[in-house]
Amino acid sequence: MYKAVIIGGSAGSFQVITRILHALPPNYPFPVLLCLHRLKHVRSGFVEALSIKSGIPIIEPNDKEQIKPGKAYLAPANYHMFVELGNKIALSTEEPVNHSRPSIDLSFITAAQVYREKLVGIILSGANRDGAYGLKKIKDMGGLAIVQNPDECQVRTMTEASLKMTPVDFVFNTNEIIKFLQNIKA
Amino acid sequence: MAIRYEIGIVDTRNIIKTLLDDFGYDFRDYALTSFKRRLEYILSLYALRDADGLIAKLKDSKDFLDQFLYDITPETTEMFRDPSFWRVLRDEIIPELVRSATSKPRIWIASFDSGEELYSLSILLKELNLLNEVNVYCNVLSEQTVQRITSGKINPKDMEVNDANYQRFNEKGKYASYYQTEGNSIMFDVSLIKDVNFIRQNTLITLDPGAPKLIIFRNQAIYYNQLLSEKIFSKLASCIVAGGYLALGVKETLENTNVSNKFTLYNEPERIYKRKNN
Repeated sequence: MYKAVIIGGSAGSFQVITRILHALPPNYPFPVLLCLHRLKHVRSGFVEALSIKSGIPIIEPNDKEQIKPGKAYLAPANYHMFVELGNKIALSTEEPVNHSRPSIDLSFITAAQVYREKLVGIILSGANRDGAYGLKKIKDMGGLAIVQNPDECQVRTMTEASLKMTPVDFVFNTNEIIKFLQNIKA
Repeated sequence: MAIRYEIGIVDTRNIIKTLLDDFGYDFRDYALTSFKRRLEYILSLYALRDADGLIAKLKDSKDFLDQFLYDITPETTEMFRDPSFWRVLRDEIIPELVRSATSKPRIWIASFDSGEELYSLSILLKELNLLNEVNVYCNVLSEQTVQRITSGKINPKDMEVNDANYQRFNEKGKYASYYQTEGNSIMFDVSLIKDVNFIRQNTLITLDPGAPKLIIFRNQAIYYNQLLSEKIFSKLASCIVAGGYLALGVKETLENTNVSNKFTLYNEPERIYKRKNN
């Protein structure tokens, strides 16, 4: 039914992401694309920190890298990360969007164009509005939209902006997001 | 900037066709997603309604074509992007190029830079006191890029970021000594780039300066598809001197390309390759 999962997060999302990745089995049937706001000048350390407890390998992909199931792809520092036709990663250094590079909107929109109704998009805790428009595009293309319960978020701006823009499919706590991701089928 | 306009794949292909048929600029093998994004950016910049509006405007005015070529290339947006890359250039590569040279070594910025790479390089050379010991070449796609760079008004977006990058490159230096503030605009010291040779290219980079020893081609092939990337990499590989260096963006690789056997990886994190003798 699904082909890919994409997750966007900013301030307050690190622990949630860590818990989600920890709960995924090694042969998870989907690629998991991660667009998380991060310090632009710090190139190393983030993927290592996320990897410590992750059930699946996390890659900071090179440009044109083939996207494969069972792996997580973390948008590299100071690049936008797109999904390109042919199921490949494409990177960009174009202007920040919503003051962000990587921008969650751009990752989500490009993923929606490639995976269409076979995409699950999830917005987590964050302090700006980036991602709200991207989640709407996923929903518009027939994909599934999930937002972390704002009451559970350290910072609720991003999830509330998303809920305002899109009639999402589910508002979930972290435990429910995990259960959902463990049970969806390819 | 927020996202406003979106155009479809068919519209994108129509614009690409017009650019090739009417003006001889070949964007067919540019990476589709980012090229489409770029077109959407241009539509919103000029408040154009749709792809047909853009095509009409292109056909209507030669000046707008140059403006289009200027806008279609994403700006580099930062000076001294990846300060650690510039440190390797300063501490290892450029001194070696000059030391081993019998004539002035050629450095070629082969990406379509908006000025940030060129001024970063020139500041580096000035601080090494080597501005007159190398020949610098810089690719440009539009006349407007030349004007922007030679006027010194390259208007890098975020001076705080640039300054922070520079401090990571040279903590003892003073970034502010390379530009003046005039009202709201920043004027870089144009004497830094007075001897630079601009090479006016088409989209396929058909010209080269001949025997460059260092090619800076960071974050340009990310805007190409695999086919065009390999085509351009082949060109660079065939003109660069044996032992010369090719710098890509830190998330680009020659692995799994047709030139991977022509280079060794000289510096992994900064993605600097060295041309073999084959």
